[in-house]
Amino acid sequence: MKKRILAAAVATVATLVALTGCTGSSDAPSSAGVPTDKPITLKVWSWDGTVKEAVPGFEKLYPNITVDVINAGSSTDEYTALDNAIQAGSGVPDIAMFEYFSLPLFAIPGKLTDLSQFGAEDIASDYVDAAWGNVTIDGKPYALPSDYGPAALFYNQAVLAEAGVTAPPATWDEFYEAAKKVRALGGDHYITNDSADIFLLLSLIWEGGGRPFTVDGSNVTIDFTDAGTTRAVEYWQKMLDEDLVNTKVSGWSDDWNRGLNEGTIATQIIGSWFTSTLPERAPDAAGDFRIAPLPQWEAGEASGSENGGSAMAIPADAKNKEAAYAFLEYFTHGDGLQPRIDAGAFVPKLSNLDDEEFLATTNEFFGDQKYNEVLAESSKNVATGWQYPPFFGWARTSYEDVSAPLYNSGKGTLADVLETWKQRSIEYGNEQGFTVE
Amino acid sequence: MSSTTTNALRVRTRPKVGLLFIAPFAVLFLFVLIIPIGYSAYISLFQNKLIGGNAFVGLDNYIKLFNDPQFYDGAIRVVVFTAIQVPIMLLSAIALALAIDSLRLHGTKFFRVIVFLPYAIPAIVSTLMWGFMLGIRYGLIGSLNEAAGTSFDPFAPETTMISIGVMVTWGFTGYNMLIFYAALRAVPRELYEAAAIDGANEFHIVRYIKLPALRGSLVVTVIFSIIGTFQLFNEPNILATLVSNSGITSYYTPNLYAYNLAFTGSQQGYAAALAIVMALFTIAIAYVVQIKGMKNVLNK
Repeated sequence: MKKRILAAAVATVATLVALTGCTGSSDAPSSAGVPTDKPITLKVWSWDGTVKEAVPGFEKLYPNITVDVINAGSSTDEYTALDNAIQAGSGVPDIAMFEYFSLPLFAIPGKLTDLSQFGAEDIASDYVDAAWGNVTIDGKPYALPSDYGPAALFYNQAVLAEAGVTAPPATWDEFYEAAKKVRALGGDHYITNDSADIFLLLSLIWEGGGRPFTVDGSNVTIDFTDAGTTRAVEYWQKMLDEDLVNTKVSGWSDDWNRGLNEGTIATQIIGSWFTSTLPERAPDAAGDFRIAPLPQWEAGEASGSENGGSAMAIPADAKNKEAAYAFLEYFTHGDGLQPRIDAGAFVPKLSNLDDEEFLATTNEFFGDQKYNEVLAESSKNVATGWQYPPFFGWARTSYEDVSAPLYNSGKGTLADVLETWKQRSIEYGNEQGFTVE
Repeated sequence: MSSTTTNALRVRTRPKVGLLFIAPFAVLFLFVLIIPIGYSAYISLFQNKLIGGNAFVGLDNYIKLFNDPQFYDGAIRVVVFTAIQVPIMLLSAIALALAIDSLRLHGTKFFRVIVFLPYAIPAIVSTLMWGFMLGIRYGLIGSLNEAAGTSFDPFAPETTMISIGVMVTWGFTGYNMLIFYAALRAVPRELYEAAAIDGANEFHIVRYIKLPALRGSLVVTVIFSIIGTFQLFNEPNILATLVSNSGITSYYTPNLYAYNLAFTGSQQGYAAALAIVMALFTIAIAYVVQIKGMKNVLNK
């Protein structure tokens, strides 16, 4: 009985908060219109394990709301499940997780809720510009950034030192020189590996200002000939031609773990989230790895790019949109953020990136380097204006097919591969109802 | 008079009772076989676009499929694979069955179980196992290369299919052997005695008694094997993520292609058309094998 009274009291407070929200206080825009009188169950689809950390705090704030966080599969599995639910018209979650590149796939055909009705634009400036750019499609916010993966250079200090490279390469020219020195160690030593990794190539293009994809509604333009793209493609072609990159090892394979562990793969150009998985992949290299900003195209520049990251959106068919937004805002922007960060989330919200405790994080594996300083800086430096084509999920698989001859047996050039990829994408995109050229 | 009524009644009710008996099977058959196939055929006439939704396109998916070089690439690969792997596997199975049946070996029971055991291992597990064993950076082949100074790679684009053939042969030889062995056991032993009395040696017995006895089961195993290899999916699907530069594309086999079309390209209609065409193709080949095989058996 006592418990119930307490719950009622909390509910009243929550109602008051909601009311003040209605009268225009910008502190709690999320509370506006959230029904507090009836029990609501929010279904959240997320493969990000930190989301559930925010649930207890939220349920305390809204006693009538129960949040049910479900892992409906990662990436494509979840998108397929979501598409099925939308087509079936039942079982659609209230909030779903998306990789940034997959948002347009759902936003453009109208499968997501435009969040500007909840005032999402008001919090835009709280996030890293590029992250907000990811969730904005045709000028409207369709999701809130929830996790971020600025590209960075993870390097094995000991191996580089052995090769005579004392400081992490700051430019791509230095990276090339360093690659030659590492290769001179003999055997299977390479500065890095690449087996048809499209995200690696795109992060080089992105950083250097190349913008191969332009999306305007259902019109998509693909062009791999702009200056930034050409520079990156020619550079990487040189790395491949001179055998400075190990093309026999693909990411996430056992070969890869082994190479990282024994030091025959000296660096990785990869997203910040790699901090969480590298220690278990390369236990013998503990203390050797450090993190540096992505090498620059010109000395003194401070540009960056993304490799991964995700956002949370409300499907257009969700039932409890007001309540869903309240929770969405709570765990990606509000008080629910801290418990998630404590559990290891990397959120592109500026106030968190400047948080001293966050910046002071260290890990023995990385030689007690305050690596979040590097990653926070990299996040802020991510170049804006990048767009993914809405069918990028498909295009990614297609890239593996078209680049296979190059990576398997050195047939053709990277530029040829991109041209074939473009033709396949145009064909597929047009078949799917987009206008692609 | 009354007897005619009962007879009439019996005639009328008998089919109904029969229907009742086959109902459990019929319902299951309808829901797990007929309806899914019908539905596949139905959606193969549609195209679901990301923009613009679902639209009836008639036979467009089929026309597109017959002009799709990626489809032919995969289809030809499995046909070649079938033509090479199935004979090797079945001949080994026959040889093993004959060896066990010869009664001249010790420990045949143990041997039988050992040969059959790989069949009990799920394809996913066995592919992982073989993947680790044949990988050049670890395991057996890696060590052999190191010791011999060679650089043989079982998962180069040219050799991947051979490695898959080894895995499939390893997995299914025991199964086929059991079928052959069962057929051999069904041969009355007196026949052998009679043959021996007539002066037949072991080779004659094999040639004129045992091999003809295997004909019927050979037809069955050939059909099963063709169906199995045409549906090759698990091995390439797992190897594609396990080893790099293996040459495995998203359209490496027709089944893999259908899967990728449906789940990464959301082209369910096209994938359904591919599945229907492959099914018809498989049925046609299996039918030809059966007709030819059975004719031989009957002629005998």
